[in-house]
Amino acid sequence: MPGLRPAVSPGPRSLRLRLFAGTLVWVVLTVVVAGWALGRLFAEHVERQFQTELVTHLNQLAAQLAVDAEGRPGLRTALSDPRFARPYSGLYWQIDRVGEEGAAAAEGGAAAAEGGRPGVLRSRSLWDVVLAVPGDRPADGELHAHTTQGPDGAPLRMIEQVLRPAERPELALRVIVAANAALVAEPVARFQRLLAIALALLAAGLALAALFQVRVGLRPLAHLRDGLAAVRDGRSHAIDGRFPSEIQPLVEEFNAVLARNAEIVARARTHAGNLAHAVKTPLTVLANAAAQTADDAPAAELSRLVGEQVALARSQVDYHLARSRAAAAVDVPGLRTPLRPVLEGLLRLMDKVHAGRGLQVSLSACADGLAFRGEAQDLQEMLGNLIDNACKWAAGRVEVRAVDDAGVLQVCIDDDGPGLPAAAREAVFARGVRADENTPGSGLGLAIVRDLAELYGGEVDLRDAPLGGTRALLRLPLAR
Amino acid sequence: MRILIVEDEPTLCAQLATTLQAAGYAVDTAANGRDGGYMGEVEAYDAVVLDLGLPLVDGLTVLKRWRALGRAMPVLILTARGDWHEKVAGIDAGADDYLTKPFHMEELLARIRALIRRAAGQASAELVCGPLALDTRSGRVSVGGQPVSLTSHEFRVLAYLIHHAGEVVSRTELTEHIYAQDYDRDSNTIEVFVARLRKKLPAGLIETVRGLGYRLTCPG
Repeated sequence: MPGLRPAVSPGPRSLRLRLFAGTLVWVVLTVVVAGWALGRLFAEHVERQFQTELVTHLNQLAAQLAVDAEGRPGLRTALSDPRFARPYSGLYWQIDRVGEEGAAAAEGGAAAAEGGRPGVLRSRSLWDVVLAVPGDRPADGELHAHTTQGPDGAPLRMIEQVLRPAERPELALRVIVAANAALVAEPVARFQRLLAIALALLAAGLALAALFQVRVGLRPLAHLRDGLAAVRDGRSHAIDGRFPSEIQPLVEEFNAVLARNAEIVARARTHAGNLAHAVKTPLTVLANAAAQTADDAPAAELSRLVGEQVALARSQVDYHLARSRAAAAVDVPGLRTPLRPVLEGLLRLMDKVHAGRGLQVSLSACADGLAFRGEAQDLQEMLGNLIDNACKWAAGRVEVRAVDDAGVLQVCIDDDGPGLPAAAREAVFARGVRADENTPGSGLGLAIVRDLAELYGGEVDLRDAPLGGTRALLRLPLAR
Repeated sequence: MRILIVEDEPTLCAQLATTLQAAGYAVDTAANGRDGGYMGEVEAYDAVVLDLGLPLVDGLTVLKRWRALGRAMPVLILTARGDWHEKVAGIDAGADDYLTKPFHMEELLARIRALIRRAAGQASAELVCGPLALDTRSGRVSVGGQPVSLTSHEFRVLAYLIHHAGEVVSRTELTEHIYAQDYDRDSNTIEVFVARLRKKLPAGLIETVRGLGYRLTCPG
């Protein structure tokens, strides 16, 4: 049904791939956003803590700051953090003299220049380096943060505050505390590394879970495919088993279609059979009535005509009946006919019917599992006609063997009769041709067999039999 | 020889009856499965022509019932459908042969003769008993090659005896097999037929077994 193929939506063809890709995109997106947000949060936290620490140091420094009578600043006690004492430890403090406001105003620019002296007092860790401070002048008491270069060239984070000692309020001192920026960057980097690993593991775990979920979630589809294959091969008449509620309606719908199909075929067959029955009994009556008047001279011609036409009508009914039935069944999925019971039934029939002739009809090979992918009555029609034909011609033996020939069901029917010249073999498959007009039959048997076989994609022909007579070779689709 | 025809199509049934009577058989007919089944159960027939598509009770059921009851007479089934599975089902139910409609009456007669012969264990179409010969195909009787003319009742008696040559056949059995059901039966007439036959045939062929019946003894 090429016209009914639904439009394929863009994107991957595989449902599994589609679901998995969708989940994966979402997982990656979530993990990346979470990683970024967590990293930011931590960096901010570390930053704030660092800032707080610097401020604490600054406050401590301010509290210990004292100015002597000459206006030289000094510390009452050393700061507690030992890093201030170790050279280039990464934690520094420094006190600059900004200048005397009052003096500056009185003496002018020279006093201001003379009064502003950086690094009047420094932590031991700074050794002989004076930290350069940006030239802005914050208001008294205001905290300013800057970035600058440390004594070892490493970037420094510093805060500064301008204070006026209580003893000499005209003296403005800039108190600076600085620390290596690495103290912030390092834990943040470490955290981010750990976070990245943890999140990568999480993403991998989620992806695995998604894969598993998709696999488990789509497993019913695999079952469905198996069920369909079973129907296609004729191992089952419907899709068996319970499916998830999303799929069950589909399965039920499909089973209903199958059942309806089978019903239609069965009904068509019954109708055809009824028609045959209804037509054939009157035909019998008509033919016999004609035969009874065959000896009366004036009616003889009419009698002959009726007899002839009845025979023709009969063969037409037989032929079209068999054909229409087969045509209805060929496309029906789920058909599977085990071979052995059919052959055995037919051989019982032949045994009984030909009992008077002492005919030996034998089944020399037929594996139990062999089955025809098609309808039972059609198989019977084909085999019945071929075996019947063989029995008519046989002198004393008919041998039937069925094999699986590389995936094709092959049935050989051999007789030990007179055989048929090669030239006549094809002709007997033509409609209405009979090898011997005296043997009863409609002359359609072999034509029907060939038609049915070809409808099923099989073939039939006649050749020499090892027994001396004719071998009918029938090849049909095999059901697995 | 007595035959039962079970066929629901009246014209065909009449044609069958006419043909078989003309061939020298005593014929009973039934138009449905119930009557036919009953007749087959209680009467003695030498062969039955049974249509499979019958009203009331179908042919297969009738046939199975007969066989279950031990009725062993040969049965020829008529099928209209021509399906092999129907033929196989018929044979499995106990039929001995089948004919697919439409058929020629000659074909039917040939099958019936063969079935009766087979049931009696006779292989040839011509039954021979010493100088006596009965050709089942033509219905002709001859003694030493000379044709003998017999009435239909005489023929039936002789045919039954020659099919069962060497066996003792009672008068009742003979009566059952030479008269149709609606015939006014009288076992005394059997004696008349036998007496007439003895006159036409060589002496000593038909023996009387006192108290039991008759026996056709073939010399040699």
